[in-house]
Amino acid sequence: MLPLAFLKEDEVAEIVESPHRYGYGHQYRHGAWKFRNGVDQLDCCRKRKHSDDHLLNIGLRPGKYVRMISNSGAGPLVLLIDECRIALGRGIAMKIYVRRIEA
Amino acid sequence: MIIEEEKNKSGQGAASNHRASFVIAVAGNPNAGKSTLINAMAGARLQVGNWPGVTVEKKSAEFEYEGRRIILVDLPGTYSLSPYSQEEVIARDYLVHERPDVIINVVDATNLERNLYFTLQLLELEIPLIVALNMYDEAGQKGFRIDTAKMASMLGCAVVPTVATRREGVDRLIETAVEFAESSNRREMMAVSYGEDIEKAVRSIVEDMKQHGAELVNHGPSRWQALKIIETDEIVLDEMGISADDNFLKQATHHLSKAHGEDLETLLADTRYALAAGLTREALKKPETRKRELTERIDAIVLNRYLGIPIFLFFMWLIFKLTFDIAGPFTEWFDAVISGPLTHWSAAVMTLAGAPDWAISLVTEGVIAGVGAVLIFLPPIFAMMFFITFLEGSGYMARAAFVMDRMMHAIGLHGKSFIPLLLGFGCNVPAVYATRTLENPRDKALTALLIPLMSCGARLPVYLLFVGVFFSAYAGTVLWSLYILGIILAVMVGWIFKKTLFRGEAPVFIMELPPYRMPTMTSLLIHTWEKGKHYLIKAGTFILAITICIWFGLNLPWGVESKRDSYLGHIGQAAAPVFAPLGFGTWEAASSLITGVIAKEIVVSTMGEVYTPKDGDDKEKNAPSVSEELKQIGVSFVGAVGKAVGNVFSTFGIATISMEEEEGTESLKTAIKKNFTPLSAYAFMAFVLLYVPCFIVLVAMRHEFGTWKWAGVTIAYQSVLAWTVSFIIYQGGTLIGIG
Ligand SMILES: Nc1nc2c(ncn2[C@@H]2O[C@H](COP(=O)(O)OP(=O)(O)O)[C@@H](O)[C@H]2O)c(=O)[nH]1
Ligand SMILES: [Mg+2]
Repeated sequence: MLPLAFLKEDEVAEIVESPHRYGYGHQYRHGAWKFRNGVDQLDCCRKRKHSDDHLLNIGLRPGKYVRMISNSGAGPLVLLIDECRIALGRGIAMKIYVRRIEA
Repeated sequence: MIIEEEKNKSGQGAASNHRASFVIAVAGNPNAGKSTLINAMAGARLQVGNWPGVTVEKKSAEFEYEGRRIILVDLPGTYSLSPYSQEEVIARDYLVHERPDVIINVVDATNLERNLYFTLQLLELEIPLIVALNMYDEAGQKGFRIDTAKMASMLGCAVVPTVATRREGVDRLIETAVEFAESSNRREMMAVSYGEDIEKAVRSIVEDMKQHGAELVNHGPSRWQALKIIETDEIVLDEMGISADDNFLKQATHHLSKAHGEDLETLLADTRYALAAGLTREALKKPETRKRELTERIDAIVLNRYLGIPIFLFFMWLIFKLTFDIAGPFTEWFDAVISGPLTHWSAAVMTLAGAPDWAISLVTEGVIAGVGAVLIFLPPIFAMMFFITFLEGSGYMARAAFVMDRMMHAIGLHGKSFIPLLLGFGCNVPAVYATRTLENPRDKALTALLIPLMSCGARLPVYLLFVGVFFSAYAGTVLWSLYILGIILAVMVGWIFKKTLFRGEAPVFIMELPPYRMPTMTSLLIHTWEKGKHYLIKAGTFILAITICIWFGLNLPWGVESKRDSYLGHIGQAAAPVFAPLGFGTWEAASSLITGVIAKEIVVSTMGEVYTPKDGDDKEKNAPSVSEELKQIGVSFVGAVGKAVGNVFSTFGIATISMEEEEGTESLKTAIKKNFTPLSAYAFMAFVLLYVPCFIVLVAMRHEFGTWKWAGVTIAYQSVLAWTVSFIIYQGGTLIGIG
């Protein structure tokens, strides 16, 4: 098992663990709905978990096969999931664990 | 899997009844082709672009179909009914609260599994649903074979293959939608079964809700509500007035949490995904081997670690170069027509009609000089909009965000924030609204603060005027340097904000990169027009009104000898010392900058009025005949076309706008040449780039954030920044002797 960020270009892997299972996402889960009613609630930070997970919704979930399309060792990387290219920041890619699949 | 019956909306008796009007919501993942499909159905002109996040506001289009009025609602793209970013909230709220008569779920046929995951959630809303299986052409090219009949029977709804860009399948889609809206036959839609445990909990919550009664209705169907309660979906709980540690909730989910662990939400999501994956396996046949596609080959170069940023900068440079080359000759032609024939024709006509002198002056020196000065820059503005539309339509936009991600991290943002910034090159106002695609309020505010540093189309007239006078030999490059200056300063300012007002980590960067697509010429032209027409409208209304005010400002108190002594002249003189260290301490420049606060084009229109010599009647000496002039206009237009074509095909770096010593028509340019040096001209352009955003942007900020706070911060920091940068440019330049 290795972090997704370590996958080299053109390698294929299966996602084993993705952060949403571990109560991850203090800062990026809550984003959406603080702007409801168009009110600026920048300073308030409700410490509650947003009820959904973007990674999951966008198709990144355990069991999926991904192919690394672009990974330059620094900065964001690009994955192929099914027919969909997804750009991911390196930080989050370090928190997703995958298992290499021999091509 | 249990099949649940769709509950019909009340009051529809017969099997099919003709309805006068109904509402169809179009929902689906970002970039699935929703807006394109609506445009195809209703002949509308909703904005389309090949990147996720084009539609951030719900928009609607209406059309007539066999005596019915059909309203189509274009929703922002969503991945799920539990929203993540603000535009997703808009889509979700609409579907849940407004309950359209029919939903058309646009599904990207090349990405079935993830799209169906959303479809399954939509089905739970118990609204008649039709799947538009869009991008069917692309699926075919990939060698996909999709069994639509099977899909339809499994989902229990209609599935219509479509190719929105070519209008294929659109008529059938409309027919089906009408049929669905009007038939009151019960349809058996698929409902995900979440397993005995959860279903039991759902039933008991539904029972409870029935007893609670009234306050819980109108927030979606009860089964859906029950599921959301189990997921502890904050928005639903909030709407129902339940707090997360309410007894009601604890009771309902207690034994579930015990059996399945805390994360029921993930459990439900997994169930849905498993079903979506199963459906996809059943309905979709993929070819054995996957071809390496064009998109991947292009990405290998464009996203390259070392080449990415240079390629982006090159594209930007090319855009400015082409804008100038193509539009330059037309601007000159337009300028000649307006300041020559148009001015003295209208003077002549008004004299004939017996208009008083002051009225003639108001029209020629006020309206024509002022509005004309803005109008002549329509060609470059439209050209620029055209290229930005091309960037959006091709799919490069999302790549630019990717490439800039690392640079954006330096300022505590991520690549996605770069898209609103880039859009700001067209107009800052939609750019401010585009910050809705950002999931985090901190990012949104920080990005919005930086947007005014992106040089919008309204600033273009100022640059073009000065570049045309002083830097015609390398116009494209000077223009480009100003835009780059804006980007560099945005990075620096962003860095300072990150250290002060906006502490905290850059959020997680997740973004889809769509495949490259060749935008069609018609769609490019339509969307260029949609973007550019605002300038035309603005010139005809807002700017017109202001130029008239400025004319009065320059001519009151009544009968002033020179414009210098007018009200505006006095204001300009009072402010001029502030600008003296920047190299343009004249009252003319100062008053132009002051009026330009309202909108940046007004800088140019004020100059047009300020620098028009008072009492220009000496121009009227032996005017050529009207027919001669008309012929001249035609001939010079043909010349302009030739020049534009020549510019595009000639090698880069050729001189394009040259100061042609035409008589009379160039009075503004000559005046500017007299009053500025190349150095002070550059400092002036930098100042116009940086000083306070236009009024409309401030209003947009207020609208987005619900407070004037960020607009105020913007005004404050930009004034300081503009003065400092211009000071450094002018004084620095003088020191090293460029002045
Ligand atoms: N090849 C192909 N391209 C399409 C089709 N439908 C839409 N597009 C393109 O997909 C991109 C996204 O379309 P848009 O309507 O903005 O998607 P939205 O985000 O769902 O509103 C645009 O570049 C469209 O031209 C289709 O059926 N086939
Ligand atoms: Mg759209």
